[in-house]
Amino acid sequence: MADLGYMAPMGAEILLSALAVLILLIGLFIRNSSLMGYLSLAGIVAALGMVLSSITSPTVTLLFDTLSVDSLSQFFKATFLVVSLLVVVASFSRYKDSPGGMEFYALLLLATVGMMVVSSAIDLITLFVGFELASLSTYALAAFDKSRRNLEAAMKYFLFGSVSSAFMLFGFSLLYGMAGTTSIPKIATFAMADFGPATLVAVIFVIAGFAFKMALVPFHMWAPDTYEGAPALVSAMLAAGSKKMGFAAAFRVLFVALLALRTDWYIAFAILAAVTMTLGNVVAIWQNNVRRILAYSSIAQAGYIAITFVVVGAAADLPNSAYVAQTGIAGGLLLILGHALMKTGAFIATAVVAYMVLKDNKEGKDNPDDISNYAGLARRAPITAFCMLIFMFALAGIPPTAGYVGKFVLFGSAINAGLVWLAVLAILNSALSLYYYLRIIGYMYLKEPTGAKIAEPRGYAAALILTLIGVVGIGVFPQTFIDYAMQAAAVLLPH
Amino acid sequence: MNEISLMIAIPLIGAIITFFTRSRAQARMVALIASIIPLLISLQMYMGFDKTSMKMQFLESYTWVPSLGIKYTVGVDGIGLPLVVLSTIVSVLVIIYSWGEDKKPNQFFALLLLNEVGVLGVFTALDFFLFYIFWEIVLIPMFFLIGVWGGPRKDYAAIKFFIYTHVASLVMLLAIFALYFTYRMPDGSRTFDMLTLLAATADQTIFPTSLLNIIFAGLLLGFLVKMPAFPFHTWLPDAHVEAPTAGSVVLAALLLKMGGYGLFRVILPILPHVDKIFVTVIAIIAVISIIYGAFLALAQKDIKKLVAYSSISHMGFVTLGAVAFTWMSIQGAMFQQFSHGIITCALFMSAGTIQHTVGTRVIAELGGLADRMPRFAFLMLAAFMASLGLPGMSGFVAEFLVLAGSYATLPVYTLIVIFTSVAITAGYHLWATQKVLFGPILQKHLDVHDAHGYELFSMSMIILLSLLFGIRPSLITDIMGVAANQVMQPVVTLAQMGVI
Repeated sequence: MADLGYMAPMGAEILLSALAVLILLIGLFIRNSSLMGYLSLAGIVAALGMVLSSITSPTVTLLFDTLSVDSLSQFFKATFLVVSLLVVVASFSRYKDSPGGMEFYALLLLATVGMMVVSSAIDLITLFVGFELASLSTYALAAFDKSRRNLEAAMKYFLFGSVSSAFMLFGFSLLYGMAGTTSIPKIATFAMADFGPATLVAVIFVIAGFAFKMALVPFHMWAPDTYEGAPALVSAMLAAGSKKMGFAAAFRVLFVALLALRTDWYIAFAILAAVTMTLGNVVAIWQNNVRRILAYSSIAQAGYIAITFVVVGAAADLPNSAYVAQTGIAGGLLLILGHALMKTGAFIATAVVAYMVLKDNKEGKDNPDDISNYAGLARRAPITAFCMLIFMFALAGIPPTAGYVGKFVLFGSAINAGLVWLAVLAILNSALSLYYYLRIIGYMYLKEPTGAKIAEPRGYAAALILTLIGVVGIGVFPQTFIDYAMQAAAVLLPH
Repeated sequence: MNEISLMIAIPLIGAIITFFTRSRAQARMVALIASIIPLLISLQMYMGFDKTSMKMQFLESYTWVPSLGIKYTVGVDGIGLPLVVLSTIVSVLVIIYSWGEDKKPNQFFALLLLNEVGVLGVFTALDFFLFYIFWEIVLIPMFFLIGVWGGPRKDYAAIKFFIYTHVASLVMLLAIFALYFTYRMPDGSRTFDMLTLLAATADQTIFPTSLLNIIFAGLLLGFLVKMPAFPFHTWLPDAHVEAPTAGSVVLAALLLKMGGYGLFRVILPILPHVDKIFVTVIAIIAVISIIYGAFLALAQKDIKKLVAYSSISHMGFVTLGAVAFTWMSIQGAMFQQFSHGIITCALFMSAGTIQHTVGTRVIAELGGLADRMPRFAFLMLAAFMASLGLPGMSGFVAEFLVLAGSYATLPVYTLIVIFTSVAITAGYHLWATQKVLFGPILQKHLDVHDAHGYELFSMSMIILLSLLFGIRPSLITDIMGVAANQVMQPVVTLAQMGVI
C-alpha cells in the first residue's frame, strides 16, 4: 500500500468518494438519515482541513499529468467544500426523517468530488469526467423531492446540461484533433492559429459549453426555472457550487490552453459579460418569486465574474500585463468565493421560509417562494431575516462584506486594464441590483407579518450563521483571502 | 486604541447591546450612555487640540490590507474636529429627544447609535477605502429609520433615498479608483491614503488636467448629491417628509454635513488644478440651491417640508463659501456647516413635536399654538430666528462670513444671493412661525398640551449652543480659520494661475 502515498495530495477527493460509497452501503442496513448527515459532515470537515493545509504548498501533478494540485485548485476546492458543508448542515433540518436521506448525502458528496476534480484537472478528458460526475449527481439531486416542480426543474436542467456537455465535448474533440493532445499545458504550446477557421469553431463550442454551466446570457434560460423548482438546498448547491465549476474549468482551458487565441475570445466575453449582467439585473427587478430573483441575481453575478476573462484578455497588451491579469483573476476568485457564500446563505434562507409557509399550511402553499411570504420575516424568523439582510447587502456590494471585496478588486482591475466602460457598466448594474435586493429587505423588515413567530430549525440557523460569519469575515479581514487569491491566480499566468 | 477609535467603537458596541435590550427603559439608557461617552471624548479632544497646527492630530494608523495599500488611518484636523464635536452633540440630543419612542425602541436607539458610528467614521477616516466604507454604512441605519418608523410613503422614500445616494457614492468610488490606479508611491506600491493622493493631484505629470477633470467631476457628484445641491436634491424632501423626527434630525444635521465635509477635504485641494469652468459651475449650483431652496420653502404647506427645503438653501451657503475660495468664505462655510447642523435640529424637533402633539403638520391647519404651548412656542420661535440669521445667533455669523468672504472673488453671485434670498429666507421663517404659533387658537386645538420635558430640554440646549456660538464664534472659528488656511495653501498660486 505504501506506493499509494503519491496520491496523498488528492486525499480529500479519495476520502469523500469512499465516504459516498460507504454511506450507500451502510444505508442498506441502517435507515438513519441523521447518522449519514453526521458522517458526511465529518468527511467534509476532514477534507476541508486537508485542502486548507495544502493551499499554499507547491504544485504537484499526478496520474500522468492529468491532475494538478496547486493553489488555484485548492482555492476552488475550499470554496466547493464550504458550500457543501453549509448545505449539509442545513440538510439536518430538511432531510432529518425523510426516507432516502442517504442518497441525498451520497449524491451531494459525489457532486462535490466531481467539482473538485474539475478544479484540479489539467487534461481535457479528466476535466470532462469530473464535469459529468458533478452534473449527473446534481441532475438527480434537482429532482430529489419528487414534486412536479422538482421533476420539471430537473428535466430542464438535464436537457440543457447534456446539450452543453455535448457542445463542450465537441469543442474538446476539435482541439484534440488539431493539437494531438488533450493535455491543457501542451495544447498551449501548439500554434493553433495555423488551423484557420477550425480553431474559431472549437473556441465557440468550448465557450458555449462553459457558458451553459456559468449561466451566461444567452445560455442562461435553464437557470431560473431550475433554481426555482429544485429543492432549495440543491439550488444553493447549483448556484454556489456547480456554477463555479464552470468558471474553474473555463479559467484553466482559456487562460492556459487557449491563451494564444485570446483575441478570439476576449471580445466575445466582453459582450457576454455586459449583456449578462444587464439582462440579469433588469429581469430580476420584475420577478415576484424570491428564488427567481436570486436566480437572475446569480446570472448577473456570473456576468460580473466574466469580467475576469475580459481583463485577462485585455491585459496582454499592457506593459504590466502580468500584474493586471493576476489582480483580475484574483478579483474573479474572490467574487466566486464571496458569491458562493452569499448565494448559499440566501437559498438556505428561502428554505426556512418554505418550511415556515408549509407550517402555516394556508393558501399560497403552492408557491412558498412568493415574495409576499417574506412580509414581516424580521419578526417571524429574526435570525433568518437578519442573515438574509446581510446577504442581500453583500450581493449588492455594500461594504464591508465579501461581495464588496470581490467587486472592489475585480472592478478595480478592470479599470486598471483600461476597461473603464465595462467597470462603469458593472457599477451601474450594482446600483440597479440594489433595487430588488432592497425590495426583499423591504418585505422582511418594513412590512407587517402575516403569521406568528416560528421556531427556526436549528440546522438552518446554524448554517445561516456560519455563512454570515464567512461573508462578514471576508469583508472585514480581506488580506488573507486576497493573498490566497493572488497566489491562486499566479498559477494560471505563464511563468 | 486611541481617542478616535474608542469614539467609533463605543457607539458600535452600544448599538449591539441596545439591540438586545428587552425594554424601552434599558434601551434608551444604554443608548444615552453609549452616546455620552463619545461626547466626552470629543470634548476632551477639543480641549487637547492644538489650534495653531495644520497637521493631523490624534492620528492612528494600522495596516489593514497591505497588498492593496489599504490602511486603517483615522485622525482629525481643523476640518474634521468641529464636525466630530457636532456629531457627538447631536447624537446625544437626538437620543434625549426620542426618549418617548415606543415603537421597537431597542432597534430605534440601536440604529441611531449605528448612524453615529458611520458619521464619526466619515469625519475621521483618512484612507479612501475606509472612508468609503463608513460613507456607505451610514445609509443602512437611515434606510431603516425611514422605512420602519416613517410616514405613509415610507417604503418609497426609503428606497429612493438609498438608491439615489448609493448611485452617487458609486460614481465617487469610480473616481477614487482612478486616483488609486494613476498614482504610485515612490517605491512603486499603491495607496488609498487620502492626503497622499490629494497632494499628488497637484502634479501635472501624474494627473494630466484632462484626467483630473473627470476624476474631479466624479468626486464632486458624490458630494453634491449628499449635500444635496440643486439639481440633485430631489431625494431629500421625500426622505425628510417620511422620516421620523429623529431620523430627519440626523439626516439634516449630520448626513448632509458629510457632503460638505467632502468639499473641504477632497474637492478644494483638487480645485486649483482642474479647469476653471468648474468654479463657475459650482458657484451657479450654489446660488441656485440657495435661491431655489428658499423659494420652494416659501411654497410649502407642510412645515416639515418647509424645513427640509430650508436645509437645501442653507447648505447652498456652504457650497458658495467653499468655491469662493477666500480665507473668510471658507471659514464661513465651515462654520455654516456647524451652525446649520445645530440649528436644523431644533427646526426638525419643532416640526416633530407639532406633528405628535397636534396631529398635523399642515401649516394652514395650525395656528395660535403659543396659547396652549408657551414654552414650546418660545423655543420654536428662537429656533426659527436662529435659522433666518438673527444677529447674536450662530447662523448670522456663518452666513455673514460666507457672503462677506465670497464678495471678493464672486461679487455677482454674492450680490444675487443677497438681493434675493435674504428677504425670502426671512419671509418664509416669519410667515411659518406667525401662522403656526400666533393668532387666535383654532377650536380643535384647544386641548393641546405643551411638549414633553425631554423634548424641551433638547431644544433649549440647541438654542443655548446657537447663542453661545453666535456670541463667541471664536470658540470654533479659531480652529476653522487654521483649517481654511490649510485648505488654501496652494491658493496663492491659484489666484496667480487665474483660476478665479
